[in-house]
Amino acid sequence: MSYTLTGRVESRLVAALPALIAAFAIHRWWAVYLVAIMLVVGIALDATVYDRLISYQPAWLAVPLGALELVLVYALMRTIPVHAPLDAAVALFALAWLSAQLFALAALPRLQLTYAEAGGELGRSGRLAAVIVPLLVFIGIGAAYATRAPTIHLHGVVRGPIVVDRAETLVGGTVRGGVIIRSSHVTLKHLTTIGGENGIDVENATHVMLDHVRVLRAETDGIHVRGSGVMIEHCTVADPAGPWVQGIDISYSVGRPMSMVSGCTIAGVREGIVTHSAEVNVMDNRVLDTTLRGIVLGEMSMDMASGNDVESAQGVGILCLDHSMCEIEHNVVAGTGVDPSGDPARAGVAIEAQYYAQATVRHNSVIASPGGTRQFGNSAISR
Amino acid sequence: MSRAGAAPSATAERAAIIGSGLAALAAFATLRHGGLAREEIVVFGTHADPTEQWSRKAASIRQRQMRSESDGHLAPADFPGLALRAAWRRRSLRPLLQTASRGYHPRVDDFLAHAAEVREWSGFDASLRLRRIARVEAVDGGFELDGEGPFAHVLLATGHPGLELPEALAADPRVVHAYEPHDYARHVAIVGAGMAAATEWQNALAAGSEVVSVRRREPVRQPLNVPRPFFSRRGLAAFHRSPPEQRAATLRRLSAPSFPPDASFDAVLAAAAADGRFRVAAELNGADQVIAATGFRRGYRHDGLLARLVEDHDLDVHDRWLVLACDSTVPSLTDQRRTLSVSGVAGQWAFPAADTIAGAKYAARRFLERVCRTR
Repeated sequence: MSYTLTGRVESRLVAALPALIAAFAIHRWWAVYLVAIMLVVGIALDATVYDRLISYQPAWLAVPLGALELVLVYALMRTIPVHAPLDAAVALFALAWLSAQLFALAALPRLQLTYAEAGGELGRSGRLAAVIVPLLVFIGIGAAYATRAPTIHLHGVVRGPIVVDRAETLVGGTVRGGVIIRSSHVTLKHLTTIGGENGIDVENATHVMLDHVRVLRAETDGIHVRGSGVMIEHCTVADPAGPWVQGIDISYSVGRPMSMVSGCTIAGVREGIVTHSAEVNVMDNRVLDTTLRGIVLGEMSMDMASGNDVESAQGVGILCLDHSMCEIEHNVVAGTGVDPSGDPARAGVAIEAQYYAQATVRHNSVIASPGGTRQFGNSAISR
Repeated sequence: MSRAGAAPSATAERAAIIGSGLAALAAFATLRHGGLAREEIVVFGTHADPTEQWSRKAASIRQRQMRSESDGHLAPADFPGLALRAAWRRRSLRPLLQTASRGYHPRVDDFLAHAAEVREWSGFDASLRLRRIARVEAVDGGFELDGEGPFAHVLLATGHPGLELPEALAADPRVVHAYEPHDYARHVAIVGAGMAAATEWQNALAAGSEVVSVRRREPVRQPLNVPRPFFSRRGLAAFHRSPPEQRAATLRRLSAPSFPPDASFDAVLAAAAADGRFRVAAELNGADQVIAATGFRRGYRHDGLLARLVEDHDLDVHDRWLVLACDSTVPSLTDQRRTLSVSGVAGQWAFPAADTIAGAKYAARRFLERVCRTR
């Protein structure tokens, strides 16, 4: 179809309605932000690129253009940042893209006979959409802003443990004794915890964001998550208070929104990142000098470990355990040491599937790990 | 507004279509889709079957596929197109994948079958009066058509004004026009460089003939007969803004013969050329048969009804074109109460691809808007 610039913009605004309605329906502000970002990116591309370069747009071109917009939307989402669960965000984008195709190819030509001849311009309906859709987006963003969780800036060292039992954002500061989160929609940013049974303890909460947190001298788990959906980005867990301390433990969270651990550095703990009965995306982390295992995806979990560096783990680098289904891709596992116990399952195994686990293992680099990639106890590894 | 099939709200004949070909059927279906009852529309034409003229020409050049694409059909709305219908009928995704990459061209059989469906659905036959209209006369509140009427809204869809046969060929007994039934002699010269000529090259080669393509210029290779932006406001806006001389120059440029790029077609020609069975020449030679793939006569003067209309009402013309408003209406004979619209090739001043199905629908949709406005 040969769109005019007005036609592109009007068609885009009208086609955004299903995604906007879905964003309001799921009652998540990130979704409204995301629709706003999609519209901003799309209209900017319409005005600066598409209208100039594409005088005629065949249907197939919607696929690469959609991919381009997805990349830009994701980049902007991360830059702002909008803390959206990746799978839900992609689903919302897919809904918007699909709506755009259905509107342009079927609904609008059916509803307005002259749609194609008018270059996608919708006349009064288009002008109405140009008012209503941005208005709805502004209302959504305004409501999100007005009802956003309060932000509390911590200064210096605070005696803890701090219990967070309402939606809020804590920024900065150092808390002795840890932080206990018992509410959804809590964000911790640039916060350091020292000591405490768990550095950060999250239970029965969703939409919890831990961004650039540092956890030092925890006594049991650095970050302890139960029955929750969390996004943990750019964290540091180090200097454990004892030999039994785990880095990040996300357990019993199946049915909650998927969790993500990304860009963290975890050093010197017993197990770096552990999951049990959870759905977690473990990506781009650095796990160093663990004494039991580097990363454990365990107990009927459905997890992905990708882009992680696991260095100098004792016994096992990455373990898919106990009926779990794991995708283990693009990781680097180096210097996995042989455990003196003599257990072959801990003989410097870089990537391991154990006890009825199913692991898909692709494009990993295994360096100086004598056990290589192995399976035990009726497990299966597919490559 | 009621939809097609609903009980008519009025029985007065308000709209008339002059012509009973494809453009007339497209216009009739569009009016019906817009809510006009069958009884409100009269179609004057000389052929009971709206596809007869076109299919006879298509059969003459052994055309099996349309040059147009999925939306090249006669139903009022572009969706669903012929590709989706073919996909559904054949239980195959192939037509959809083809149309996504602009590689789908409906089979002539499919197009005609769909035209028959539209004819049946719209009730075209019931509104058809087999009568040639020779004169359109503007009267108060409408138009009289050879004494019939008056009708408030009239659409002229008179089609191409006859086949073009260059004077130099007219008396030559070897000559047959491509759009007239014919077979192929052993040595065939094909005059022209457009879609019909290209089809005839293939046909004659397939029949075992030696072919000489007689042409004065290299054909333009483009998917449709005008560039795609001219099918939408993207290209039309500038065209409509341009002064008359520039607009005429654009139409002259766009009327140059063309046919779509097609690698397999080129391979056939190349193989035939290598075998000495196909060559290009600037002049006719001693071929057994001369096929004039020279298209149609051009200009309103060749159409008796249009020529008389211009003369009677002193209408604006520019060179061979009727000067029309952007919505394909005749400005001096159209006002708040009446409409005179032009569809088909004579509507090029408003829509350069007026002689296509898209062009017929362009005029029909704007005609519908005007008819609805005065309900």
